[in-house]
Amino acid sequence: MQVITEDLIFQLDESETLLEGLERTGHQVEYQCRSGYCGSCRVTLRAGSVDYEKPPLAYLRRDEILPCCCRVLEPLVIKAHLKSKYSA
Amino acid sequence: MKYSTFSLTDNDQLKEPMFFGQSVNVARYDQQKYPIFEKLIEKQLSFFWRPEEVDVSQDRTDYRNLPDHEQHIFISNLKYQTLLDSIQGRSPNVAFLPLVSIPELETWIETWSFSETIHSRSYTHIIRNIVNDPALVFDDIMRNQHIIERAGDISKYYDDLIHYSMLYNKCGAGTHTLNGKTHEVSLFELKRKLYLCMMSVNVLEAIRFYVSFACSFAFAERRLMEGNAKIIRLIARDEALHLTGTQHIINIMQDGQDDPEMAEVARSCHAESVEIFKHAAQQEKEWAKYLFKDGSMIGLNLGILNQYIEYITNLRMHAVGLEPAFSNASHNPIPWINAWLVSDNVQVAPQEVEVSSYLVGQINSTVSAEDLGEFEL
Repeated sequence: MQVITEDLIFQLDESETLLEGLERTGHQVEYQCRSGYCGSCRVTLRAGSVDYEKPPLAYLRRDEILPCCCRVLEPLVIKAHLKSKYSA
Repeated sequence: MKYSTFSLTDNDQLKEPMFFGQSVNVARYDQQKYPIFEKLIEKQLSFFWRPEEVDVSQDRTDYRNLPDHEQHIFISNLKYQTLLDSIQGRSPNVAFLPLVSIPELETWIETWSFSETIHSRSYTHIIRNIVNDPALVFDDIMRNQHIIERAGDISKYYDDLIHYSMLYNKCGAGTHTLNGKTHEVSLFELKRKLYLCMMSVNVLEAIRFYVSFACSFAFAERRLMEGNAKIIRLIARDEALHLTGTQHIINIMQDGQDDPEMAEVARSCHAESVEIFKHAAQQEKEWAKYLFKDGSMIGLNLGILNQYIEYITNLRMHAVGLEPAFSNASHNPIPWINAWLVSDNVQVAPQEVEVSSYLVGQINSTVSAEDLGEFEL
């Protein structure tokens, strides 16, 4: 599945979560519990949609998703930057 | 709103707001206005742990071998955490329970507060194991100006709310003169005090613990004080859940669907809320300065910790609908901390420290020479 961020377009592998995909491609993304209850990894969804196997416990606004536990249903546009852009 | 431990008026609990409705009568969970609180309770119960399960005996040796300035860092953080959990182990119950009006939130508050008492007991467990006289450490909490300064700022929002809600409960809205002192009492002001208190608790769990967490994990990265780090991981897991709890409460309040006046209250508290965050971040930076007064520790120094404080302050502000306070803090200066904060697999540290909980109730496998004394070949 295709994921578009501020800095990159990449393919999400079937075996990885969106969070793992973002980490693999060098994005700055926060995490803590990696199972939906802490909300640390929440990112803004600009286009596309996701669902969850179980509704996560963390508070989410309408335009926010949890990359640690969401299921990507269609190509997504999300707000995330590459780590290298921050150090520059 | 008059508090009763069991309100005799038959009501539809689904129509009550989170706070300031009719006091809860039947503790029932078959129907819930906000199922999220029931889910938080279940999660918290699944996290249950006991400090005694974690073996901290190696920490005693580690602690003795630490240089003085690192001993200061370690023990000061424990003192500070002891203070934080002393407050959190009782205050949500005392302050919020008389105001709450739905059962699932009432039980969440009790479950939350109870888990903080486990944290308090764990500090005694750690301190008892690493120093000869724990009393010296505990006694200093009340005598250490750096810690006491923080205590005032944390407890004042609770105390304010508790005193004001007692007045409201006793006298109702209006102007009252008690013992020669005049009080203006209104429900709106009471709601403001609740909102600010919830924001301050949110800040406590969102920011105040994290300097301490960072130091504990920095020791453990060097394979020092690992028993302590195991306990801190369990505490951090609980705190992340409590934080989610207060974030839900605050966002429901802001939304106004639960209680339209609460949305107005939230707007009127906006500037003060931002100030609570900024003030806490500043205090934590001063705390870091006090910790490192005689020298930094490997992997952490004042500059890095300050950046981390600003970074998490921004994140936590965003989660409750506030604009980030620090413009230059958009990335985590200590990303390794997250590996310690991953809590789903708390018992399996990346460093694979010994997991002693599996030993509880098992056969003692240490065999001494005397055990074989009566054997003859």
